[in-house]
Amino acid sequence: MEARILEFAALLRKHGMRISPAESLDSLLALESTGLGTRETVKDVLRATMVKRTSDLPTFEEVFDLYFSNLGEAIRESGEQAAQALGTTLAEYQKLLEQLEELLKKRQEQPGTNELSELARALLRHDDGTLERRMREASETMRQGSGQSGKQEGQLGHAIGEQLRLGEIVRELEGFSDELEQLGADAETAAKIRELIKRRLADLADLIKRAARLEAARENPQPKDTTGLKSLGEKSFYYLTEDEIRKMKEAVTRLAQRLRHVVSIKRSRAKRGTFDLSRTLRHNTQFGGIPFDVQFDRRKKNRPQIVVLCDVSDSVRNVSRFMLQFVYSLQDLYSKVRSFIFVSDMGEVTKLFEDHDTNEAIELALRGDVINVFAHSDFGRAFKMFHRDHLPSINRRTTVIVLGDARNNYNLPHEWVLRDVQRKAKQVIWLNPENKTTWGFGDSEMDRYMAFCDVVEECRNLNQLYRVVDRLVLS
Amino acid sequence: MFSSIDDVVQQFAGQKYICNRAIATVVYLASKMGKPILVEGPAGVGKTELAKVLSRCLDQELIRLQCYEGLDEAKALYEWEYGKQLLYTQILKDKIGEVLAGTGTLREAVDRISAQDGVFFSERFILPRPLLRAITSERPVVLLVDEIDKSDSEFEAFLLEILSDFQVSVPELGTIAARNIPLVILTSNNSREVSDALKRRCLHLFIDYPSQAHELEIVKLKVPGVADALAADVVSVVQSVRKLDLKKSPSISETLDWARALALLNVASLGEETVNDTLTTIFKYEGDVRKAQTELRDFMARQKSRTRTEGQPDPADKDALH
Repeated sequence: MEARILEFAALLRKHGMRISPAESLDSLLALESTGLGTRETVKDVLRATMVKRTSDLPTFEEVFDLYFSNLGEAIRESGEQAAQALGTTLAEYQKLLEQLEELLKKRQEQPGTNELSELARALLRHDDGTLERRMREASETMRQGSGQSGKQEGQLGHAIGEQLRLGEIVRELEGFSDELEQLGADAETAAKIRELIKRRLADLADLIKRAARLEAARENPQPKDTTGLKSLGEKSFYYLTEDEIRKMKEAVTRLAQRLRHVVSIKRSRAKRGTFDLSRTLRHNTQFGGIPFDVQFDRRKKNRPQIVVLCDVSDSVRNVSRFMLQFVYSLQDLYSKVRSFIFVSDMGEVTKLFEDHDTNEAIELALRGDVINVFAHSDFGRAFKMFHRDHLPSINRRTTVIVLGDARNNYNLPHEWVLRDVQRKAKQVIWLNPENKTTWGFGDSEMDRYMAFCDVVEECRNLNQLYRVVDRLVLS
Repeated sequence: MFSSIDDVVQQFAGQKYICNRAIATVVYLASKMGKPILVEGPAGVGKTELAKVLSRCLDQELIRLQCYEGLDEAKALYEWEYGKQLLYTQILKDKIGEVLAGTGTLREAVDRISAQDGVFFSERFILPRPLLRAITSERPVVLLVDEIDKSDSEFEAFLLEILSDFQVSVPELGTIAARNIPLVILTSNNSREVSDALKRRCLHLFIDYPSQAHELEIVKLKVPGVADALAADVVSVVQSVRKLDLKKSPSISETLDWARALALLNVASLGEETVNDTLTTIFKYEGDVRKAQTELRDFMARQKSRTRTEGQPDPADKDALH
């Protein structure tokens, strides 16, 4: 029992859940106090003690169903289904089995025939216990036999079948069903028994498939990579697969959270301001004017305002995606966030983030509802639009972040816009997802824009992005 | 205490709280193992209610600690009652004079006073806040730490210490150990992820929106005045609305509010007008109301066509056939 639970915990870990020894110990203690009871009880108990994140619930359900796939139950079920499929009542089915037993006995009395193999007999007689034992043994021996890791479900099923000598059993039973008449069964019974044999062979194949699926899950888990944060952090934004984008999103969420903790600690340290005389006097009148409880000024939180301008043309789309996610995950650290996206037009997407949750809003923004995202990049034109419509919203508390590779397709750069913005804003930060050495070459206008930025950073991977955001919230 | 999981289900039902086996199992385990429960789930599915019902079932006092940003030890654990201390020293001035009578030097006087300072830093002058109250209570209690995700992470770390040892150290008094281990329920709306360390010490329970049958049962139990057909309609509307992408999906408490409102208005079945008038009881955002309205119109249409096929065929349908 303990061994099975621990193995189950290990399997969950392989699937990317974090389960500490304390938790598996808890689950054992818990099972002790509830008793095993039904399968559902066990599931409830394990869920309560092992799953600590809501996001892990689906994984748990899946692995539980696989691991406690309950071959025994499946075997019993298949037996019942066989009875039903033969279109008889349970009593009649019982009788059929008795007839079958007699035939088997007769067959054995005949000289020159071997007894059917154990598994074949168990299959026909609905000897569920033996069946389950043999299935488990087969999986076990296969597991010990080396060189099966990385095998697919089908191959594993094949291996289990081999272990069980499936071929022999099929031959045996087919032979048996041919002999029925010779053994003295009447036509009707023979037909029924033949049907039964066919049915049971199909059941066996099903069971093997099930066992193989379990083995496959055991051997080739598809872990939600929670440890890959490090390698992901250094990965360039340019080359990301769909899967990596998904992982990266989770990583950004986690990083944002970490950052928030840091900020909250720093802020609370800085919470104490100078001694506040009038509040101290007022508060301490209840103690007869003796200043027991000294009051301090609450230091005013100077939350920065942020305006993000994101280039969402194909080349920098991923960076923009994660930058937006970062900024909006940390929204409560700023007093105001406005976000714009541009390719050749400039469009505001702040409202999208108000109406939808962050990830959804990003998808909507990148889909092209707001601006044409398939146009050719034209920074100058987009900047001019920003200058015309939104310049008044920038004040000296605003930090302007521009995200883009400054590849302008040889259009007019209009860098004077940036100059105007810089004059009004607290600071202008430009993040460029291109390698620093390529700035200014070809159609890159980076060197022109750089002159009007307070900070210019290369931002090619998650770690660099994190550093930038980190500086942003702590400044 | 509970004797089995089924016992939990029954006792809870006795308190008009319908719970599934998963919830009952966790409650049973918590009472057996003395572990805190961390309840997560959307707002209004009965997380706080769980603690209340539990306290009623066990006939134990419920001590509630509502978390918020900036909650600190003084608000959660204990505070010295400066006012009372001051008052006592004022009243006891003469007595203090007596104690100090006959002392020659200042040192002697300070020594004598410090021999007495235990009087002023005793449990008499401590103002217990929920956590200390839960620990020092004579009878076992149920402690509800509501919305733990709203508190700061420092407070969470502090709570961790209490939940693992059930003891508190007050510098002036020493360590106060729990007389009874309270049954602790923490709730979280997941506005931020609770730390792993805290999660590890708890049994985890996720309460989701209930199934249709389950919710219908709850409505019937909690709103006795509502007609069966109306209750079924209300529940199926809410269930279908939940599938929409809303800012705030209506939860059980909203369903109950709605059913109560309709029962008060003496509505027998849902009509378009009554729905539109009472929609604000289940939706809290203007945008959600607009989104839901189209869905509801479809629902009404389906409802109508169903009654039509059950009853007389509608002449309009006939015309459509020609």
